[in-house]
Amino acid sequence: MQASRARLFKEYKEVQREKVADPDIQLVCDDSNIFKWTALIKGPSETPFEGGVFQLAFAVPEQYPLQPPQVRFLTKIFHPNVHFKTGEICLDILKNAWSPAWTLQSVCRAIIALMAHPEPDSPLNCDSGNLLRSGDARGYQSMARMYTRLAAMPKKG
Amino acid sequence: MQNQENLDADGKAESVISIQTSEYDSWGNLGDDDIMLQKSAIFVQEAEKVPFVGDKEPLSSLEAEYKSGSPILLEKIKVLSGQYAAIRRTRGDGNCFFRSFMFSYLEHILESQDKTEVDRIKTNVENCRKTLRSLGYTEFTFEDFFALFLEQLESALQGNESSISHEELVIRSRDQSISDYVVMFFRFVTSGEIQKRSEFFEPFIMGLTNGTVDQFCKTAVEPMGEESDHVHIIALSDALGVPIRVLYLDRSSCDSGGLSVNHHDFVPATTEVASGSAASEIKIPFITLLYRPGHYDILYPK
Repeated sequence: MQASRARLFKEYKEVQREKVADPDIQLVCDDSNIFKWTALIKGPSETPFEGGVFQLAFAVPEQYPLQPPQVRFLTKIFHPNVHFKTGEICLDILKNAWSPAWTLQSVCRAIIALMAHPEPDSPLNCDSGNLLRSGDARGYQSMARMYTRLAAMPKKG
Repeated sequence: MQNQENLDADGKAESVISIQTSEYDSWGNLGDDDIMLQKSAIFVQEAEKVPFVGDKEPLSSLEAEYKSGSPILLEKIKVLSGQYAAIRRTRGDGNCFFRSFMFSYLEHILESQDKTEVDRIKTNVENCRKTLRSLGYTEFTFEDFFALFLEQLESALQGNESSISHEELVIRSRDQSISDYVVMFFRFVTSGEIQKRSEFFEPFIMGLTNGTVDQFCKTAVEPMGEESDHVHIIALSDALGVPIRVLYLDRSSCDSGGLSVNHHDFVPATTEVASGSAASEIKIPFITLLYRPGHYDILYPK
């Protein structure tokens, strides 16, 4: 508990320092609870998520960093490896390939990379995965872009 | 599109909380989080059976385990008991090699009070730190693990405030907040060494997986619970400069007469080159591990 708190405090300081270096990620710690974080990440360019801003929620366990943080999308996203309803993310580093070498910041980077490079063979969103697996990249992109517009962009007028 | 794996059949999957309370009515309802929870529940169950590091047991307890087993194994255990007095088991949680190494090494320091060895390994530890830095690891991701190991090392030496007894060493080795941190320290050290000498390790790693050296370190060395192979042992032994003897208790045998238990000494690559005079004083490794397919325990020579 004490160890995880100390580690998170270091990450907090690092985040303040990295703010400029990584403008695509805005990681914020809850005012009253260092085990709760949220992040705003920019959809990577040349993907259907470009132009969107996606919110992630982090719940950090007491055994952190020996155990991974729980991360989910709060913003709706159409992506093979993100559960359409719960926002749960299928990413190896959040499960069995986790190690303390990762940080909340680098997890955000990994999620951005996952957005750009979906893994349709281990889908949490089968509809999305099936579109890609059947070779319908256009169908996937237009669905993903539609949800980006609907959920991840500021509403116009 | 509407119907995501029928998850919303009862219409309550909409709320985030309901996935936590999902009932066992269908495997389809098992989310990754549930699987993680179940996995950690199994770990807790296992934990109750075997501590991270067990008590010292006479070698006869090994014999009892194979009472109705393969005659080759029984014969080999008999051979073993000629040279070894006791065994200390470790939990089979994928960290057994690192855990065995941890206990065996610290116990050796505690009993030998070998200050020269402590000074020597500290130099190596600092080099490992530099290796990780030069590989681009963020300092704060590994420094806590390094600090905790150095702390244990310090307290194994008697005569200062933090000195510990053998009993306390056993307690600490069973305390997850210390034991797992030291294991993780070894995983960082191992990973750093493999990456630093990637051209040396690459052919071995290619024989184990299809991935790159970097992928191997990220998926098979750094994560807790990933089992150790020869590659891990060579890298750890080299990085810390600590020789390790491993005895192999398996069903292999040869036709030519008596059975023997194969062993292999992992001798740090660097020591041979570094000190020319060392060749004359090659020591038997003070760490002896017993390998049975899939698991490492600690052995005590007679």
